[in-house]
Amino acid sequence: MQAKHSNPPDGGYGWVVVVSAFMVMGLTAAVLKTFGLFFVEIQQHFDELASTTSWITSVTIAIFHLGAPAASSLCVRYTHRAVVITGGLLAFSGMALGFLGLNMVWMYATTGFLQGLGIAFSWTPAISIVSHYFSKKRALANAIASAGECAFAFTFGPFFQWLISQYGWKGALLIIGGIQLNICVCGVLMRPLASSCILEASHSETETPPGNGATRMDKEDKSPITHKTFNWMLVRRPEFILYAIFGILAAMSFFVPPLFLVPLSYSLGIDESWTASLLSILAMVDFAGRLLCGWYANLHITKTVHLLTMTITLISTSLMLLPLANNYLSLAIFTGFYGFFFGTTVAVHITVLADVVGMPDFDSGLGLFMLIRSTGGFMGPPLAGLIVDVAGDYRAGFYVAGATLVLSAGFLVTLDQFQQRKERGNQTNTKQEKSTLSYPSLHLLKLQ
Amino acid sequence: KNITLDHATAIILSCRLDNKHSHLKSLQVTWKKGNETIRHNTTENSWNIQLMVSDNSKLGSYSCTLKGEEEFSAIFHLQVPKIEGREKPIVTYEGDTAIMICKSLGYTPIAWTWYMTNGSKQIAINDTLLPDKYVITRISANVTHLKILKLTKEDDGVYCCEAAFELGKSQGKTKLKVLSLMAPLRPFLAVVAEVVILVTIIFIYEMYSKKKEKYAEGEKEFDQIEQL
Repeated sequence: MQAKHSNPPDGGYGWVVVVSAFMVMGLTAAVLKTFGLFFVEIQQHFDELASTTSWITSVTIAIFHLGAPAASSLCVRYTHRAVVITGGLLAFSGMALGFLGLNMVWMYATTGFLQGLGIAFSWTPAISIVSHYFSKKRALANAIASAGECAFAFTFGPFFQWLISQYGWKGALLIIGGIQLNICVCGVLMRPLASSCILEASHSETETPPGNGATRMDKEDKSPITHKTFNWMLVRRPEFILYAIFGILAAMSFFVPPLFLVPLSYSLGIDESWTASLLSILAMVDFAGRLLCGWYANLHITKTVHLLTMTITLISTSLMLLPLANNYLSLAIFTGFYGFFFGTTVAVHITVLADVVGMPDFDSGLGLFMLIRSTGGFMGPPLAGLIVDVAGDYRAGFYVAGATLVLSAGFLVTLDQFQQRKERGNQTNTKQEKSTLSYPSLHLLKLQ
Repeated sequence: KNITLDHATAIILSCRLDNKHSHLKSLQVTWKKGNETIRHNTTENSWNIQLMVSDNSKLGSYSCTLKGEEEFSAIFHLQVPKIEGREKPIVTYEGDTAIMICKSLGYTPIAWTWYMTNGSKQIAINDTLLPDKYVITRISANVTHLKILKLTKEDDGVYCCEAAFELGKSQGKTKLKVLSLMAPLRPFLAVVAEVVILVTIIFIYEMYSKKKEKYAEGEKEFDQIEQL
């Protein structure tokens, strides 16, 4: 039994899990992205201000980030499957109760809080279980799963608009809630890997980054069950801290371009329908970027950390060049580049996290990473907005985003250097061990 | 060219010829309101005309025409301010409340009136008569709200908000659709049914494949025992 499960499937049922994660990504992140279509309807119905209405999405995003570590710790104790099913039920209840639409606070509690919690409980385990099911093909699997967000977002735009025109926003919420119930279907498909304790112990022998190998094996031989709790000790590990800082800086810049692309486009004199087409271009190249990057990372030609550094550098270059655009064509081209490299980054950054943290702690790592990253996500847009107000031009926002990404790339390079040094240090250690081992055998021969 | 006027005023309309046709400048221009020619006092320049817009009858389309080998003309539309209603229909449910908003762009109306269109007739909505059904509020100088409570199927239709200006009236339209609660419930229940069916199928399949595994392993052990 042990021999059968000593390696992750890396295929077979794993691909079912990937498809299921693809769907979960779509039913969570894409719904969140397209929720903006409900704004005007809800705002007019309750006769509220636009800013008050936009707090609904703010609550959803906040609860999503805060709920992520909770979700991943629950994954560790119960199975991924249970948490995803719970998430599906929560998201469904959020939308379905939103149908009752009693007042604004009710909307915050339902489409804000419950929906956010549901998304956190669905998204986090879905991402995590894909990494558990794969090792060599992990990059490709993660990329395909994350592409679900783009594919669904592309179709949900027109679909939600049609729903709202047919059933009004209340009816649309109810129906979307029902559609989100399919998250539970996807959750049921996510079979937990058998005897995951023993599985993860053998995992760590083959996969943990060098330098951790020696100490980890001791721990696991003694008590294989200890690492089933949420591992807060991760914050003590320098590689995790470096990657987390990268995450904060990257998150600070990631939310900025989509925010300012539309106003920048309007300021260049491009009208509404063409601007909407820019967003469609962004979604399409994002999708292509994720798949292509997954395929490339799967070839294992480059180390994932190096690949991530390259993609980040390419995004920051496109962002620095984007302000040069002065008409639709140039803006579309630069947007295309930005979207493509954004997709490549998203596709590979979870795989890098798995490499940094190692599979036994991956769930904890994912939760912590999301929590820490959220600070960047909260600081980014207001900070960029402030700079745009000071500079008086939306282009400033893109420069800031590009600069932040360059800074984040610096942390990635530092992380890579750190890992390489550890690797070299370990190699010399094992060489010394080998030489000391040979001496006793010579002794024995002499004695004989 | 469209010219919006909300109160009585004197206005000068002038037509200008493009540079490439400047050789025609010496010719005279005829001014018309609609199809009738306006006889105006011959000022030095017939290319300009002064109008006293004092009431609704003075609004309309004015044109200046130059008749020569080719005919050139330009039209001015003098009109009351446009009212912004809502292009997309508002979809609501029975028993719900609907708020309809009308905005006047830039100009302040003297008064607002709401009408419900029944066939071709327009029935004025009296909120003092039925205060627990209709509430009309003037939010600001240029914005009016009509709140309809306890919606029923009869409230379905087109509502017009009419703004009264010194020079006339202007209307904005909003369409209200009232659906029964069953309408979204049907697709919703269909999706829920689909989910339940899928979950059941997947669970049954998994139980079945687990039983098969156990059975297969049982057979393997049996074979091993036999070999021994």
